[in-house]
Order: sequence, then C-alpha cells, then structure tokens
Amino acid sequence: MTNREEQKGLRRRGFLGMFAGATAATATAAVVGAGAVNEAQAQETEDEMRKARYQETDHVKAFYRTNRY
Amino acid sequence: MARMKFLCDADRCIECNACVTACKNEHEVPWGINRRRVVTINDGLPGERSVSMACMHCTDAPCASVCPVDCFYTTADAVVLHSKDLCIGCGYCFYACPFGAPQYPKVGNFGSRGKMDKCTYCAGGPEADMTMAEYEKYGANRLAEGKLPLCAEMCSTKALLAGDGEIIAEIYRERVTTRGYGSGAWGWQTAYQETINV
Repeated sequence: MTNREEQKGLRRRGFLGMFAGATAATATAAVVGAGAVNEAQAQETEDEMRKARYQETDHVKAFYRTNRY
Repeated sequence: MARMKFLCDADRCIECNACVTACKNEHEVPWGINRRRVVTINDGLPGERSVSMACMHCTDAPCASVCPVDCFYTTADAVVLHSKDLCIGCGYCFYACPFGAPQYPKVGNFGSRGKMDKCTYCAGGPEADMTMAEYEKYGANRLAEGKLPLCAEMCSTKALLAGDGEIIAEIYRERVTTRGYGSGAWGWQTAYQETINV
C-alpha cells in the first residue's frame, strides 16, 4: 500500500471512529442520566423512611374481625 | 399512632410452620435464612407449647443499640428496619437480640457473613416503597399496600396476630376470657416491657 493510500484509509477509519465515539458518548450520557434518576427514585429521604405505613384498610379490618372468633 | 406488634397465642399454635413458609415465599428469602421460626418448648411432654418467633420490633431495640454503623431505624409505627447498604455483617445484633432474629447469608468459606437479614414486618426497607430495588433486598412491602404481615394473615389457627398492639391485645384478652385460660403474650415483657393483663 502506498503512503497516499494509507493516509486515505486512515481518514476513512477516522471518520468511522468519530461517528462511533459520538454514539458511545450519547449512550453513556443516557445511561448515566437514567442511573441518576433511578438512584433518586430508589432512595427515600429520612422522613419518608420513618413514616408510618400502617393503614386500617378493609383488608386489615377483616383480619381483626376474623381473628375475634 | 398505632404501634405495630406481633402476638403469638401459644395455646393455638399447632407448629404447622405455615408462617415460616409463607414468609420465605412472600419475600423470596435466600436459602439458609428463616426470618420466622417455630420454637417448641417441652416437646413431647405435658405442657408442650409452640411459639412462632421472629423479630418482635422491640421498643428501644437492643440490635439498634449495639450496631457499630447505625444501620437500624424505627418507623413512626414502631417497625424496626435496617439498611443493607450500611450493614457490615459484624454480627453484634445477633448477639444482642433476645429472640435470635438477625440472620446472615453464608457468602464464603471461613464463616464469612453477608448482610444481615431479618423480619421487616412486611414493611420493606429504605428504598422507595414497592420498588424492585426494595423487593430484592428486603422483600414485599405489604404494610404500604394496606395489608399486614403474611405470616399472621396465613396462620391456619389464627395463633399469630399482627397489627395495632392495642387491638391485638384486646383480641387476645377476649380469647382468654372466652376459653378460660391463656399462657400469656410470649416475649412481650422482653420486647415491649409490658404484658397483657386479663
């Protein structure tokens, strides 16, 4: 391969490399962004962690009622 | 504010282990860990009693007092929960617990322990309610769904009671009055520093 052909080949690969790099960067940004959102949704604040979850629903009332006999 | 408690009516428990199975199934508890167990006292002798035991969600919980990384917290309805992200698997809580509730997955040779696992009163953990992240670490969050722990809901003889401490104490009082006997609220003095007077 002559020097000129080599340079031409490198330019072509360089273009592909640039294209791939841009795609990867976009994908990485998307993944990092999604991760940050999931992280924020996954962890509760101190007040949320300690809040009461018990509710006297019909389901719970039925449990109390059926346990009386 | 309702105070969540467990009460095992030992005069009704028939040691069927449905509570143990229900818990393991509901929370996909790893092999080798039982968040709830049935203990039989005086097995085969007169006065034999079976008691279903798990974390009692103590008032002033001893596990929380000894934890070196402060991974325990108590919710407004008195459920004692912990963060597996903070737990270092030291085992101090296991020695402090009067009920033997904390459990550890075996993660390798030479007795190395994983993150502590215990009954969550079906109330999940510090992750957002009813998310996959919470389910994978702590199991189902039935309390947030408006239900009670499955072990109690599943009990075939209605021996295991869960819910508002005052309501279940009243139910137990009614039972003892009706049948004329009762062996007391097992573990209540240790866990809640109170007992049920009939």
